Amino acid sequence: MNKKQTETSVRVTERSLFYWILRRHRGMQLILLVVIVVSLFFKVFPLEMQKRIINRAIYLQDIDLLFLYCGLYIGAVTIAGLLKYAINVLQVSIGQKILVEMRNELYNHVLQLPLQFYRKMQAGTVISAMTAELNTIGFFLGGAIAIPVTSILTFLVFLIFMINLNPWLALLSTGIYPVELFVIPWLQKKYNNLNKKRVQTTRKMSNVVNEAITGIHEIHGNASYGLEERKLSSFVDKLYALMRRLFLVKYGIKFANNLFQSFGPFFLFLVGGYMAIHGQFTIGALVAFLSAYEKIYDPWKEMIEYYQSYQDAQIRYAQIMSIFDLDPPHLLLPDNRELLTLQGNLQLNNVSFSVPGGVTLLEDINLTVKANEQIALVGYSGSGKSTLALLIAQLYDASKGTISIDGHDIEAMSKADIGKNVAMIAQQPFIFSGTISENLLYGIKSIAGRVESVERAEIMEVVRQVGLQNDILRFGLQSVITPEKCRAFKQKFLRMRQIVCTTLRSEFENVIEFYDAQKYLYYSNIRDNIVFGDSLTGEFTIEHLPENKPFLKLLRDLSLEKPLMTLGYAIATQTVALLADFYDDEFFFRHNPMEMVEYRTYQQLLERMKGPVPEDSEARRLLLTLALRFIPKKHTIVSFPSALAEKILLARRGFQKQIVFIEPCQDHGEFALKPVSPQTDEEPTFIPFCPSEYLYSRTLRDNILFGAVKSEDILNDHFRELAASAFEDEQLLEEIMEIGLEFDVGSRGDRLSGGQKQKLAIARAFLKDAPIIILDEATASLDNSSQARIQGLLESKYKGKKTVIAVIHRLDLTPAYDRIFMMKSGRIVEQGSYDELMAKKGDFYALARTES
Amino acid sequence: MHLPEQNPEMEGISHLTDTQEFIEKLAVFAGAPEGVSRMFAYLARREKYSKGQVILEQGKECDRCFLIISGQVDIFQMHHDRRFHVQLLSDDSINYFGELALLAEFNWFFSARAWTDVVLLSISREAFSKVLERYPESYQKMVQKIITLRIQRFSAQTSYQLDHLAPDAWREDPPEE
Repeated sequence: MNKKQTETSVRVTERSLFYWILRRHRGMQLILLVVIVVSLFFKVFPLEMQKRIINRAIYLQDIDLLFLYCGLYIGAVTIAGLLKYAINVLQVSIGQKILVEMRNELYNHVLQLPLQFYRKMQAGTVISAMTAELNTIGFFLGGAIAIPVTSILTFLVFLIFMINLNPWLALLSTGIYPVELFVIPWLQKKYNNLNKKRVQTTRKMSNVVNEAITGIHEIHGNASYGLEERKLSSFVDKLYALMRRLFLVKYGIKFANNLFQSFGPFFLFLVGGYMAIHGQFTIGALVAFLSAYEKIYDPWKEMIEYYQSYQDAQIRYAQIMSIFDLDPPHLLLPDNRELLTLQGNLQLNNVSFSVPGGVTLLEDINLTVKANEQIALVGYSGSGKSTLALLIAQLYDASKGTISIDGHDIEAMSKADIGKNVAMIAQQPFIFSGTISENLLYGIKSIAGRVESVERAEIMEVVRQVGLQNDILRFGLQSVITPEKCRAFKQKFLRMRQIVCTTLRSEFENVIEFYDAQKYLYYSNIRDNIVFGDSLTGEFTIEHLPENKPFLKLLRDLSLEKPLMTLGYAIATQTVALLADFYDDEFFFRHNPMEMVEYRTYQQLLERMKGPVPEDSEARRLLLTLALRFIPKKHTIVSFPSALAEKILLARRGFQKQIVFIEPCQDHGEFALKPVSPQTDEEPTFIPFCPSEYLYSRTLRDNILFGAVKSEDILNDHFRELAASAFEDEQLLEEIMEIGLEFDVGSRGDRLSGGQKQKLAIARAFLKDAPIIILDEATASLDNSSQARIQGLLESKYKGKKTVIAVIHRLDLTPAYDRIFMMKSGRIVEQGSYDELMAKKGDFYALARTES
Repeated sequence: MHLPEQNPEMEGISHLTDTQEFIEKLAVFAGAPEGVSRMFAYLARREKYSKGQVILEQGKECDRCFLIISGQVDIFQMHHDRRFHVQLLSDDSINYFGELALLAEFNWFFSARAWTDVVLLSISREAFSKVLERYPESYQKMVQKIITLRIQRFSAQTSYQLDHLAPDAWREDPPEE
């Protein structure tokens, strides 16, 4: 299928495991081999020293020799240890480097696989293969050469050493090894088969979990927990059975190994001991022989283990590669030429498309679209219009016939050519995690030089055109901006506050209770009324205040503690009694200082309290928490004791003077803006609700409104528009948009509504400024006005400037298109302008009538 | 449900009781069990509008009903871009509007604006249905009462409109088309 791969490169999935090992990081592997060979000497040398210590130093009772040999012994052992450490580090480093390359190249290959591949492939399989399964291979890769070479050489060196000491004894003690060469592979083969099944079962299990997580809405909606659990448990049971058998074999291999290992010393003691008794063998040689035997077993064991992990890696590798063993249908970049810049003349000749199994979805499609023409593809569901759009976008490849743009066969075009010249908008677009801005630029990031050339103004223009501006403004307003990020915009944000609090004050007073250092705020909680500011360290939150000693002392000094406790007690008793039958629904706690999860706690508290006076610190903390959360005008459960307001205002002053050591706002009511020096202005940790201060722990909206909203229901579009137009007059909106563009959309854009996602995808496609735009029912999920807006854009801005191919379900949108292609059962049955097709009274006419 | 005796130190509780008394006096909620009116008092929100301010707009989604604590509210309908006054409500006459919003989801078929400065109490459909979920025996009665009151109001409004029809708009039979 692949006609464009160069001859020299081997497709990633066709490479053997050793292809990677033998061709990558050869320099490092060579160094590793040298280190291994050097280390061998230091492994054998201590054995010789052992022999000499006994046979010479001890035998001759020569202390100097003893010191010398012991010194050499410990020196050699230390060097051998260090070299082993170096070998391990090098081995892992090589393995991981190869793994990184393998993973990158495989991922690159996987991304290019045709869409059909993903239709039948479960995401769980791909994820499991690309992550956990590849990791296991990584461990093998590092030692793929080092371990066998070390083991074989070590084995041989020790064997020669032993033969040198006593050939017969050497042969006798190692004679059992060849038997293992038959037993171990036989067991290994069994292990491999089971392991293969284990990998397959794990993948199936991953798919079930992946599907359940993706479709969690359906599971909750249908309460199909049992069903899903059963699906998984069938695999869990199967896996359990497999693992049991797998470990039986695995430990069987280990048992065989251990058994064989014990035969050696048996022969050594029997024969070696006999020879030593008869003076045919020195004690020193016997000790050295025993050490050597012990050492010779290690490389042997390592070789067996290596064999096992090689088999394991080989199976995993083959299974990973086999699932991705397809050719990417197109080259990523063109060979030896610049990217094409097309006009948008589209030609389809006798195009057919079939899916495996022989089902033909499109048959003999002939279609000519002139550059900048706008056409609509219509038809009943399943008539093949979306498939046709996907073929034109090179997302599917035609089974027969040719598709060409400006005379270039798209079969021969690279992905980059299509990426640059075709913008496709799907009905259910995918939004990536990241910011709005990142998603907007996603389409043009891969076109060289485009991202740099896109001006902020161009982005804003497209955002406005698709109707995303208000959404982005809202995101901007909801953002909590860090001091560093805010620095550049702070003055402008404070100017917005100034507009709302002064120019628009009379209108906004109906909906906002502005912060005023001299007044009690009935729409703010008691905490805000006392603290009247925020600490950037979170020190004075409601959570922490009941344990803040200076704060509690202040309350006591002002005789405020008792009334607050009484208020907390009143809230608790009223709420616990009133919501006795309603405490299981969060709705009833929306306008209450108590939270649903706390109901039981307060119920128990009241049961153990004998009166309104709390007796322990926990009771005090709980009651004070409720009081500090209390908002007189919003929490209807009790009304606010009017005498408290005066005391709280005193507490506000006391708090500022004695706890945070600041002067009361000097610029009360004036909203004067202090000049801010960008270099020297260090933000203090406590920021009071003063008109000239930006409140970093609150949202931008809270900062602009500078007060508590009386009712969200009343703060309606009228006020939003009022503020927006005032801001726009002073060109302040751009700043909010800038912040809004940095809004994090969440995983798969989960923090966006369906309409917002769609508009974002449309803006993303329009920003590409490609000559061909394909809309696959791209506006179907939008509300009527947003849909009309996008349609209007096609009819005005892009009319005569872009080739537009729109798959459309709503036929009332079709009159705006130059030509309409009516599809039925995979064929084009009619084409012409709206008026022509209606006059013809054929299939389009019939479809239009059923729709109306 | 037992509510605790009022503690002399808890001067705040009277607020909820006042609201409850106000609600119980309204035709819409008269006769509802004490627990229901207490919960409505607890869940009702107080809204203030200045003279001339729009309270609700025709065509917008409805979600709550309004009770007039003080002031007057002008109910009107837009028809072919012309405003038609329908009814002037005040705290001492018919002191509620939008009661159908408690029963069903629809878009307002009229608009309301503050004719004087007004203070309203609003009860959301969500609050209404969540409370009555726990009092199913009251639900039926309340629905019936709301519909009856609505019919009364509808007939009063129709009479008002017929009284103000242009003389040539009068017809005895349907037009022949």
